[in-house]
Amino acid sequence: MTTTTAPIPDAELLRQLRSGAQAAFQALYRRHQGPLYRFAVLRCGSPDTAADVVQEVFMGVLTDAWRFDPLRGQLQHFLFGVARNLILKHEQARGRTASLPEDEDGEDEAGDDGAGEPLARLLSGELAEDVRRALGQLAPHYRDAVILYEMHDLSYQEIATVCQVDIGTVRSRLSRGRAALAKRLGAHRPQPINA
Amino acid sequence: MNPDTDHDLANPLRTLRAAMEGVNAPRGVEKELMAAFAKRHARTRWYQRVRAVQWAGAGGAVALTAVLAVALTSPVPQPADAPPLVQRDGRGYFIALESLERIEHEPNPRMIETEVPRMELASLGVSVTPENAGDSVLAEMLVSGDGQPLALRLTSTE
Repeated sequence: MTTTTAPIPDAELLRQLRSGAQAAFQALYRRHQGPLYRFAVLRCGSPDTAADVVQEVFMGVLTDAWRFDPLRGQLQHFLFGVARNLILKHEQARGRTASLPEDEDGEDEAGDDGAGEPLARLLSGELAEDVRRALGQLAPHYRDAVILYEMHDLSYQEIATVCQVDIGTVRSRLSRGRAALAKRLGAHRPQPINA
Repeated sequence: MNPDTDHDLANPLRTLRAAMEGVNAPRGVEKELMAAFAKRHARTRWYQRVRAVQWAGAGGAVALTAVLAVALTSPVPQPADAPPLVQRDGRGYFIALESLERIEHEPNPRMIETEVPRMELASLGVSVTPENAGDSVLAEMLVSGDGQPLALRLTSTE
């Protein structure tokens, strides 16, 4: 007979971390770094920036700078929100704004930031790289919704909390983002030859 | 929701998700975070927790000169992690809490007055009796510009 032990809840690990337990900090990091890094790398298109963002997120966890309240949701979703804000700050620091276009339908042609080459090395397979590139060309607010919904299985409500918008906006962004993504992928697809 | 969009995207998104599955933050990130944790939670010695009872005035400058004179004439360099160096001279005890090189090169040292529990002095080699173990003694502490303790001068342990 095998016995399995339930994973220690995030709230308990945070409590231990505040008491100075390094193992708790390490466990939290190892539990959440992967999803956060994958979100960040798809969101900003740069592995280096994504690594910086993950490090900043966990430095904030270490110093209790983010003031996470377990009553207000899961830690991971909270950290997605922190990562997103840090990415916005990185973008603003580079002189690029991620503000909404007036018609809510804009696409960010420069979204890939020319950082595709190092990121391409992370992915195996041409199709995955095509999708990643097409995703990177979406406007940032569409990218947020599509990544969180399609890659991380967040609900509309959870995305609304991460992105600090209402649920109707999430629904709209997701729909438009997916349509724009399909259009871009369709443009890359080989056209059938009519005899 | 457009069913054609779903159909067009399902396979590409599944492929991207599978390709991203093994993508993690570089190992260096964890290493740096653990180093930051260790630094933040480093064990502090008692003399790093003592507070100044008052700022020393003109007397501090005299005491500072005395402390540095002892420090700079000491023949033995002290490693950073070594136990405090204790010397006794005609004016009392001089206790180096940091290496003498560190003390010598501190650009903005200053002197403060503080109270030291006698029991802590025992660990520094100062004699403590059962009768006075619960007392505190006044001391002059040399601190760096950012407040890190560098050395103690105990003029009287009576």
